[in-house]
Amino acid sequence: MSSAEAGSLDRPSRRMPRIWRFATEYLLLLPIGAAIALAWANVEPESYFRTTLAIEFWVNEVAMVLFFGLIMKEVAEATVPGGVLHPWRRALLPLVASVGLTLVPLVAFSLVVPLFDEPRVVEGWPVVFATDLAVGYVFARLIFGRHAIIPFFLLLAICTNALGVIALAMAAPATDMHLLVFSVLMAAALAVVLILRQSRVSTFWPYVLAGGTLSWCALHFGGFEAALALIPIIPFLPHAQRDPGFFVDASPDAQDALSRFELWARHPAQAALFLFGFVNAGFQLSALFWGTMSLPIAIFVAKPIGLMIGTGVAQAARLHLPRTVGWRELIVLGFIATIGFTVALFFATAAVAPGPTLSEIKMGALVSIGGGLLAVLAAALLRTGRFGRQHPGRESAAE
Amino acid sequence: MRAWSTSVVRRAVAAVVQLSLAVAALAGTQGSTLPNAAGSLKFAVIGDNGTGSREQYDVAEQMVRFHKQFPFDLVLMMGDNFYGSQRPADLEKKFGVPYKPLLDAGVKFQASLGNHDQIHTVNYAPIGMGGQRYYTFVRGPARFFVLDTNALDQTQLTWLDNALQGAKEAWKIAYFHHPLYGNGGRHGGDVQLRVRLEPYFLKYGVQIVFSGHDHVYERLTPQNGILYFVVGSSGQLRKGNLGQSNSTAAGFDRDQAFLACEIVADKLHFQAISRTGATVDSGEYQRPARSGN
Repeated sequence: MSSAEAGSLDRPSRRMPRIWRFATEYLLLLPIGAAIALAWANVEPESYFRTTLAIEFWVNEVAMVLFFGLIMKEVAEATVPGGVLHPWRRALLPLVASVGLTLVPLVAFSLVVPLFDEPRVVEGWPVVFATDLAVGYVFARLIFGRHAIIPFFLLLAICTNALGVIALAMAAPATDMHLLVFSVLMAAALAVVLILRQSRVSTFWPYVLAGGTLSWCALHFGGFEAALALIPIIPFLPHAQRDPGFFVDASPDAQDALSRFELWARHPAQAALFLFGFVNAGFQLSALFWGTMSLPIAIFVAKPIGLMIGTGVAQAARLHLPRTVGWRELIVLGFIATIGFTVALFFATAAVAPGPTLSEIKMGALVSIGGGLLAVLAAALLRTGRFGRQHPGRESAAE
Repeated sequence: MRAWSTSVVRRAVAAVVQLSLAVAALAGTQGSTLPNAAGSLKFAVIGDNGTGSREQYDVAEQMVRFHKQFPFDLVLMMGDNFYGSQRPADLEKKFGVPYKPLLDAGVKFQASLGNHDQIHTVNYAPIGMGGQRYYTFVRGPARFFVLDTNALDQTQLTWLDNALQGAKEAWKIAYFHHPLYGNGGRHGGDVQLRVRLEPYFLKYGVQIVFSGHDHVYERLTPQNGILYFVVGSSGQLRKGNLGQSNSTAAGFDRDQAFLACEIVADKLHFQAISRTGATVDSGEYQRPARSGN
């Protein structure tokens, strides 16, 4: 077995509780923060907005560095044997499919926004690229169990979010970007971590403190999203020879730098996620208008279609889907991919300045979690996944 | 026979109503409360006007009538200058045509952006934005700060900080689309914007803030020493949508309206006029002693 899911097939009784613990951590923390924020912002808005204004920089630009660092750790591990990105050719079809999964909703978004006569909402266009890896993963597992479509989904999510990060850079006003500052500082950051790696430094601290700080400065002073500072740094950390599986916790006795980083950062990152929900999901419901509808409509309609088109193009280019993945599974997956949630909130906050327009886009990002329910409904209607006559979960994930 | 008589009665009632409205309009405009002093700064305020509807045209006609006795030469626009389609022909229909008599009389319009305005309208010369989302200009004793509250980025806040710091005029007036305070039932005050903007206004002594967005007219009691107006019914109207609270000083939500203002020395005089020409609010505001540097 070569997929990341293969490990979970070996020891389902041990892996499933981990998945549920993961789900509890990632599915509850941000919504709890968001729920507190929404309630507070509508009951005592003055104190809520004063509080969040005081801490938003530290949460969005500093604390979230750890969360994205951990997500990047999963991606970096996925490139080693046993990971979904190993060998790299496996990512080709999802990469091509993700272009359809993002471009079709992007076109739909640009067409839907004018219908609601709130033209500035279009400034949140990078949000349509967002796919919440964690929440989407849980819904995919709920519907499909251990199916070959799971690694396919993870690859899709990684590709769409990577395209989203590029979109964010494109959306940033050119006047706010300082490319020379960015280039110099980022080159210094990469040089530092490269030297550390070649010197066989095995603790993660110098990588994160020296390289991470330089990278953070490069992004922040260069006019980009500083929360992504660890993304270029993490791949340089020494890691295990094999991937233990996507979102599988590192063993407490693991000695490699990447696992030690995960063990150290896990709880602070969860706190960051909670604070991220608290700081960003609060807005006055009275600020919402019809433009709020643009994002959910565009992604709920266009993402399944975009995935079908993108996959069709990939197959026309002689790339092959896993044998057990057909059009019904793709439609369901298209709905799962509409869940932007955490990533959508992040993209929204990064792309649009504070104000009523951002509030409307954030509400759309929160509503996007409804894509999970649509996916369950679609799976039931199409009789696939757990709703199929032959439960595909029994099929090999190595397809 | 019966149908004929009903029709006659209806026409007669309609004629009486129209005559009454005309009389009321004349009575209202003749009852101007503004000093109309020579050399004073005279301006009008409109918001949420760009519907291209009969009601917008009625308000525009009322402004033209008022202009004849109170020759304001500046109109502040609170945003939502254009609803719906915003092609060149639409911009004419929703701005160029209704305000043509004022434009021909040399009145200058200075707009801010609302949530319904497409960003390209900043380049529509007659609304005076000069291609900018936010900008400042001086008229007589007042400096105006025009903001884009749809997206209040840090660059804009830094600009505002610098612009306010450098302002030496006695009067500092800010305006933008979304109200920081208000009792409109649909939206009300936007607290997220308030916590970001109000500290700058207090720090540098802004005295007057105009906004729109809620489709009513409202004047609030001074909040932290700043006088706030909501003028969001110069085309749109949300009838009966204005609530009451301790912060309500005056309001009008039964018909469309615009606001006329005059600054004479340390006093701002204001008069809100309805679509039919009735004065629905008026008064004066003394500039606080601490403001104006």
